[in-house]
This record gives sequence, C-alpha cells and structure tokens, in this order.
Amino acid sequence: MPIRVLVVDDSGFFRRRVKEMLSSDARLEVVGEAANGAEAIEMAARLKPHAITMDIEMPVMDGITATRRIMQANPCPILMFSSLTTDGAKATLDALDAGAVDYLPKRFEDISKNRDEATRALCDRVYTLSRGHAGAAVQGRRPATPAARVSTPAATRPAPRAAAPMARPSAAPLRRGQFKLLAIGTSTGGPVALQEVLTKLPASFSLPIVMVQHMPGSFTPAFAARLNQLCAITVKEAEDGDTLQPGTAYLAPGGKQMLLESRGGRQILKVLEPEAGQTYKPCVDITFNSVAKVYPSQTLAVILTGMGADGREGSRTLKQGGSQIWSQDEASCVVYGMPAAVAEAGLSDRVLALNEVGPALAQL
Amino acid sequence: MALDADDEILQDFLVEASEILEQLNEQLVELEQSPTDADLLNAVFRGFHTIKGGAGFLALNPLVEVCHRAEDIFNLLRNGEKSLTPAMMDSFLEVLDVLNDQFDSLRAMEEPASATAELLLALEAMNKPGNDAPPAAETPAAAAASAPEPGPAQAAEPVAAQPEGDITDEEFEALLDALDGQAAPAAQSTGESVVAETVSASSDEITEDEFEALLDQLHGKGQFGGAPGQVGAPAEASVAEAPASSGSDEITEDEFEALLDKLHGKGQFGTVPGQPEPATEAPATEAPEPVAAPKPVEPAKPAAAPAPAREAKKKPDAPQAETTVRVDTARLDDIMNMVGELVLVRNRLSTLAGEELEQAKEEMTKAVANLDVVTGDLQMAVMKTRMQPIKKVFGRFPRVVRDLARSLAKEVALEMVGEDTDLDKNLVEALADPLVHLVRNSVDHGIEMPDVRESLGKPRQGTVRLAAQQEGDHILLTIEDDGAGMDPEKLKKIAIKKGVLDEESASRMDDREAFMLIFAPGFSTKEEISDISGRGVGMDVVKTRIAQLNGSVEIDSEMGKGTLLSIKVPLTLAIMPTLMVKLGEQTFALPLVNVNEIFHLDLTDTNVVDGQRVVIVREKPLPLFYLSGWLVSGVSTELPSEGHVVVVHVGTQQIGFVVDQLIGQEEVVIKPLGALLHGTQGMAGATITGDGKIALILDVPSLMKAYA
Repeated sequence: MPIRVLVVDDSGFFRRRVKEMLSSDARLEVVGEAANGAEAIEMAARLKPHAITMDIEMPVMDGITATRRIMQANPCPILMFSSLTTDGAKATLDALDAGAVDYLPKRFEDISKNRDEATRALCDRVYTLSRGHAGAAVQGRRPATPAARVSTPAATRPAPRAAAPMARPSAAPLRRGQFKLLAIGTSTGGPVALQEVLTKLPASFSLPIVMVQHMPGSFTPAFAARLNQLCAITVKEAEDGDTLQPGTAYLAPGGKQMLLESRGGRQILKVLEPEAGQTYKPCVDITFNSVAKVYPSQTLAVILTGMGADGREGSRTLKQGGSQIWSQDEASCVVYGMPAAVAEAGLSDRVLALNEVGPALAQL
Repeated sequence: MALDADDEILQDFLVEASEILEQLNEQLVELEQSPTDADLLNAVFRGFHTIKGGAGFLALNPLVEVCHRAEDIFNLLRNGEKSLTPAMMDSFLEVLDVLNDQFDSLRAMEEPASATAELLLALEAMNKPGNDAPPAAETPAAAAASAPEPGPAQAAEPVAAQPEGDITDEEFEALLDALDGQAAPAAQSTGESVVAETVSASSDEITEDEFEALLDQLHGKGQFGGAPGQVGAPAEASVAEAPASSGSDEITEDEFEALLDKLHGKGQFGTVPGQPEPATEAPATEAPEPVAAPKPVEPAKPAAAPAPAREAKKKPDAPQAETTVRVDTARLDDIMNMVGELVLVRNRLSTLAGEELEQAKEEMTKAVANLDVVTGDLQMAVMKTRMQPIKKVFGRFPRVVRDLARSLAKEVALEMVGEDTDLDKNLVEALADPLVHLVRNSVDHGIEMPDVRESLGKPRQGTVRLAAQQEGDHILLTIEDDGAGMDPEKLKKIAIKKGVLDEESASRMDDREAFMLIFAPGFSTKEEISDISGRGVGMDVVKTRIAQLNGSVEIDSEMGKGTLLSIKVPLTLAIMPTLMVKLGEQTFALPLVNVNEIFHLDLTDTNVVDGQRVVIVREKPLPLFYLSGWLVSGVSTELPSEGHVVVVHVGTQQIGFVVDQLIGQEEVVIKPLGALLHGTQGMAGATITGDGKIALILDVPSLMKAYA
C-alpha cells in the first residue's frame, strides 16, 4: 500500500509540480491537494493521509496555523516547504514548533538543474518521514492530545532494528567535572529536539556547548536567536574567533564548517568555508573530530534525531579518546538514522528518550 | 534554460502567473487607496512570492530577481516595518510592467529580459526597514548623472564628498551596497546614463516612456490577442454546436476556425481600408514621441528609449491570449451527464424510427421534447465552460484610470459594478481593448480638470462608472462619466470640417446621431493629437471591433452633466439570433442585431432622391433596396409594388431592405461557407433551418459595400 500524501500549496502550479514529483515514486500516492490551510485541515481529517507537504504562505489560513490544527486533530508527519530567507527561517521554525516534523527548503536552482535528483530527494524525505517515528515523536511531545494517533500504516512500519543493542547500556558513573565540553549533532527533527533539550538546561549550566544542526545558512541565525530567546542559557550562532564561554551554546552556521581549536589556553571556534565534496555543511563529523583534538577525553557528545550517519566517525574518534557518547532512542526520533548509526557501531554509552536528555544533562 | 514551446510546465506557469499578475495590478491600485490594509499587503506579498516560486522552478532568473525584491519589500510592509509611499508604488507598478513584458517574451518563446538595473537598484534601496528620506535615493543618482562616466565608483564618490544632512550613515551604507551590487551590470547593458534613470524611476511622475510602454501593452498587444485565442477555441466551440444544430454535425474544425477568423477580424481587419490595425500602428507613431514631446521637467531618460523599440519588434509574433480555459470538474461532470442523456434520446429515437408511424407518433413527440430539453441544457452548460467573468477585463481599469488621471493631473474615481458578469471567453478577450480605449477617452475628454470642475460646482474628483450586466441573451456594458458631456453642434461642425459629413446631412441629424460621429473614421474632436486617447484612429476602430462581435454602441450625453456609453454584445458568438426572410424561394437570415424594425409598405408611395428610392418614415427619408434584386438571379432591382421592409442599421445610417416574405426570428448556429464560397461579399455564413434547408446569413455592412 503506497504512502498517502496530501499536498498543500496555494499555487496550483506548485501543487502540480509536487504531485508530479511524488507520483513518480511508486511508494507514494498523492491522495489530495489543498489550496490553503483551511482546506488542508478538512482534507487531513477526511483523507487521513500518511504524510503532508505544506506550504507556509497561503491565503485564508497559513501553513503554520494549519499545521498546529492538524497536529491537534489528526496528527501526521508534516513536511514544510520553506523559502530560504530569514523570514522563511522564522516561519519554518514556527512551523516546526507547531508540530511539523521537517522542512525542505524550496531550492529552485537545484530543482531546475537536476530535477531527477530533487525529485528523489523529495520522495525519499516524504517516505522516510511517513514511515519514521514522526508520529510517535509528535505524540511524545503532545501527550495531552486525545485524538493523537500514529497514522503510519502498521504494515509498512519497519520492524524494530535487530542490530541495535536492545538493552540500554548501563550508564557509566559520571563524575562532576568529568566534562569540559558538550557537543551535540543532529539533523532531521533536530530543531525541535534541540529546543526540547536546551530549554531544560539551567542558566547555571557550566559547560560550553557546540552544536551542529544540518541547516541552510539562511536559517541558522534565526534558529540561534530563537533558541536564545527560549533558553535559560545563552545561545548564539558561532562566529569565527569566538572563545568558548561556560553556559553558552554555539550553533554551527549553516553552509559553513565549524572547528574547535586550542590557542594559548583558550578554546576558540573557527568557522571555515566548506571544501568541495563535503556533503553536510555544517558537518557533525568535522566538528567532532576537531573537538577530539582539544578535549579528547573530556567531551560529552550527544547524537540526536537525524537522517543519515553523520556524527558516527566523529563520535568514534571521541570515544577512542575516552569521551562519552549519548544517543537518542528510536522511539522518540523523527528519523532514527544518525543515532542508530552511532548505537549500531557500539559507540553509545547511553541511549535516552528525547525528554530524558535535557534532565540528564542538567544533572552534570 | 532553453525555452520549449511545448513545455507544459512553462504554459502551466504562465497561466497561473498571468492570473496573479492581473490580480496584482488590481490589488496595487487598491492598495494606493488603503496602504495599510493588512490583507491586501499579504495578498500582494503572496502574489510576488508565488510568481517567484514558479519562476525559480523554471530557472527564469530575470523573473526571480525582480519578484524576489518586490516580495522582500512587501514582507517589510506587511510586518509594519515600512510604509508604502507613492514613489514605491510607482516602482511596484513598474515591476508589474516588467513582469508583463517578461511573460510576453516567454509566450513568444524568447528569453525574458532582465528588469532594468535602475529598477532593481531602486527596489534594492527600498528593501530595508523604515522609510528613507527621498533625497537619499535621489542624491547619488543625481550626482552620478553629472559624472562623465558613471560607474559604481564615480557614482558613489561625489556623494561621499558632499554628504547631505538628511542621509544617515546606515542609509548610505545600504545605498553603497546597492550600487556595488547593481551598477556594474547596469553600465554594461544599458550604457552610460543608466544611473541617471534612477531619478525617473523613483520620481513621482510617471515618465512618458513608461506611459507609452503601458499604452503599447494595453492597446497593441492586447488587441492582437483576440485572434490566436479564438483559433485555439474551435475544438471546444464545435462541441457546443454539434448537439445544438439539430443533427447536422458535418462541421469540421478547420471550417469553424475559418469562420471564427472571419468573425473576429483576423481576416476582416485586413480588408477594412483606412483603419490601420492598432497593434502595428501604435509603436510606429509612439516611438518618436519621446523626442518630439519631451517634458522639460523630466530628467533625461535615454536608457528607456530602447524599450518601446524592443516591444515593437516582438509584438507581432507574440501569441497573446491563453489557449486554455479552466473548467470546474463538476461542470464537466454535468456535461458528461447530459451527453449521456443525449445518447439515451438518440437510442430512443432510432428505435422509434423503426416502428409504425401511427403508434410511434406520441412516443416520438415525447422523445423530441426530451431532446429539446437536453440540447438546451447542454448548450447552456457547454457555453458556461467558456464563460469568464468580465472582471478579467475590468481588472486592468483601476490601473489605467489611475495612471491616466495622474498624467493628466485630473482627479478621477473609478466605480465598477457587475464585475462577476460572465461572458464568452473570446468576447472577454476581444472586448478588452475597445473598453480600455473608451475608458481612456472618458477620462481624457470627458472628465474636466479639477479646477474647472470646482468652478462648475462639481466635486473636484470626477467619477467614471463602469458597469456590466446581463440582459437576456446580451451583455450590456456601460461607461458613464460625470464630465463635460458632448456638444452635438460642435461635433457636427468638426465633422463637416473634416469632410466626414456634409452640411445638409448635418442639419437633419439628431443629437444621438451627432454623438455617434465620434466613431466615424477620420474624426477626432481634439484639434491637437493628444497622446492619451485620440490619434485620429481609435474610436472608429473601437466601433468596428464591437460590430465584429455582433455588438452595438450607443452614446447618450448631456452638456455639463456627462456621457453614457452603452455597449451591447451577445453572450456568445457561435449562436446568433436572426430574422429569417424569404427572397424568391430562398431563405436568408439577417442578424437581429442589425434589425431595427419591420413594416409593411405600399411601395408605390416612395420618392426618388438622387436616383435612390427612398421612403419617408417618421419624417426621415429611408433609402430602400430590393434584396431579391441583389441576391436572387433573374430578378430586377426594381422595387415591387408592395412588400415588407426590414429597417436595418449600418453604423449610424439606417436603410430599408425590401424582402418578399418574413418568416420570423430564429436562433441559428453559424456555419462557415464552403471553401468555394468562402469570402463571398455580403455573406457571413450559412445555417441549416428547422426544415433542413440551408439559409445564408447576411453580413449587412459588407452587403452594402458590395451592392449599394
């Protein structure tokens, strides 16, 4: 049974394009098209789609409001289409806050240059999200919603990964002062996850934090600003030359690479232009590897939800140096990819549900 | 990106984007009245956003760059970080013009040109929160204009050397950024005086060039639009006909196409002498104007000159009108249902045809009654698929009136009523240009200058009221102004002076006929040719176009009170109400729109004036012609002693046709004449009458030309 997708966009032109792209994938079936948020709510209730692609700017009702309402009434993984502007970033973050599981930048150049690849990327994303744990993750975040249910068809739901260590590794006893740095890497579902984790940290949190979230460059400033507003600790987008301060979180700028260096007893962040051939900008592995040179054994690395396996190699290096690695558990992940990669490689010291991560960190 | 004519995606984009553009046109003018309307600001923002999105998808970067900037500014506006100024409004309207040109290029399968660098620059300068003092925008530009070779560096330096008090550092920074980013390509593409253009772009007045460009778009291109649109239509139209023509389904698409061409002027236009087609005429006369009539207050604007030229070049081959119609699927389902009904009736009838007549008679009557209902419904349903609200045409008027009023320094309010009135798609397209011309005329000639109005005790602001409503099988469009009205005596004098009219006819003419003189070829009420409405041609072309649509125009005017123009057009062009007459043994159909009245006459009671038989009707002489003499072989043109007279009008003139027998009114489906007879003078086509015979449909104006 194919994944039933609802396409929401006020432009008929875009609806047709998205539909064409999704329909090219046999795993997906577009069951409805809505031209505004109000229609989307109605169709979500009527058609019970397994996934929704949602535009933000629409007449009658915008995509953010619609997302919030749909997540209350008929929760289902929603993929936002967002424009790569500062305001687009704000709106996207609002949408994620409203319950959307992920976003896809409308990267026009990419689409027009390589339509096949863009199509595949879109289809894969929709497919993964619809099968993943988005529903569960969402449910976890909104336990009060009575109608909440996972819309993923049971038949297509993957069997629990056998390879993953079933039993949670017993947590190694933590010593106060054991860590000098907290490093977090995440991708799909990360904005919401980071918010969940960081807002649990008290203002007195003593470690500096470096964070890598896969995100386009136009989004990271807005994301950092938003986190800063919501969190007790200070959050900023990393700038080249920043000196690490305790209780401050540094978000790797999108489209760049962030490295940590030790210079004259100070720990300084370097922000570099990406080199050709680097898939992720920013890249968790690159940041973690640089961290491993500065604090080989005094880093606590946390891998949160995300597609792919970025962070595994960096975590391996840190682990070899004696640092600790935590990873998010499968049930609470929007996409159990990056945490799975770490866990399956046997690197994970603790596997935690998303809502356990923040409190655990706060105890450090 | 290589443009591909068959690219469905591109066509899809154009359809949607053109609609949005039309809405934007309306919304922007509305916005000028209520610049803080949040819904409107949002809607405009979304409009640009959506066009940008689609253009981006198709890698149409020239569209993206201009939409992107406009979108950003509207984002500031809707977030209340900036407020709308008239200068900004001008830039936005210019953006719409640019987009319009770009869409035209795309339709013509050409690479769209980028917006002028100065426009992009002006937009860039606006894209920051808060409202900048106007000098900030103008100073560097003015400075640059005086520099011998304004490149980015020179443009910036003079300003830096003599900083103005009212330019803040921040604004200046922004400007510098803007200049750095934009001026370099500008200098390459448009030559030295590019930066000088910024002044005119951001100045309050719309420049003449801009205005001309607008005119071109409105007149020339739009007018051209009718034909290709109609060519695209025959497939749908012939579907409409087949069931309606009571069984005759021999019409081929080619024939129908040919007929439509004929009806809508593709062919006819060429044959009307002395009436140059506006599309080709407009750019030709307009291009030299910036030189001929420069307004001294306007800054130099050489960069804009290539624009009209470019338009002139691309206009002739631009396939304009949309060739697709959007139809609600529910409506299609209805049609499918009715076709199903039709099949059932057909089956019933063919069964009955095999039975004994006596038994079948009653059943047959039932089936035929059923057939009648189904065809009627089907005809309406299919016609409705081609219906579009006249809003599509009306939508452009706020902008037209606004720009025109501004350039004439008049104050004009536009009221529109009945925008949702539906009419045939072809008509909507074909009416656009005549209406624009008439509305412009009302604003230009009708409405007085504000001071004059005040001295007459009228409100300073004039009102033009545009209304549409359905009246039976016709659409009535009215354009009403509360301006100066028309002086019939003055009109007559001018007509005599221009040789359009002789003194004698003038003295016999009543006021209404005198008003109609403005539609006479070669008549223009202004002594000087105004670049706004009258170029000596125009009104007569308007009249011709409306006549081609089987429509009519009437004028009512009162001195000092205003003028009312009424245009009547049929709902559709494929089916025409006619008066059936008999000449000898043959049946002919006269389009009812031409027919005024019918009376029976003792034809001995006629006079001969200048060798022409006339009869006096209500104290007015009516020339009489014996149609049988013209159309039936072997009959002399001498009038019979008694007969029926059908009074028809051709333009302002009334004539009487003597016919042998009157049959009555009938709605006929127009069929083109076969290839052999195609183009026969005086014949608009043929139709099949209720008794299965063929009747020729007469084309009164061309009949008069051929025989009288």
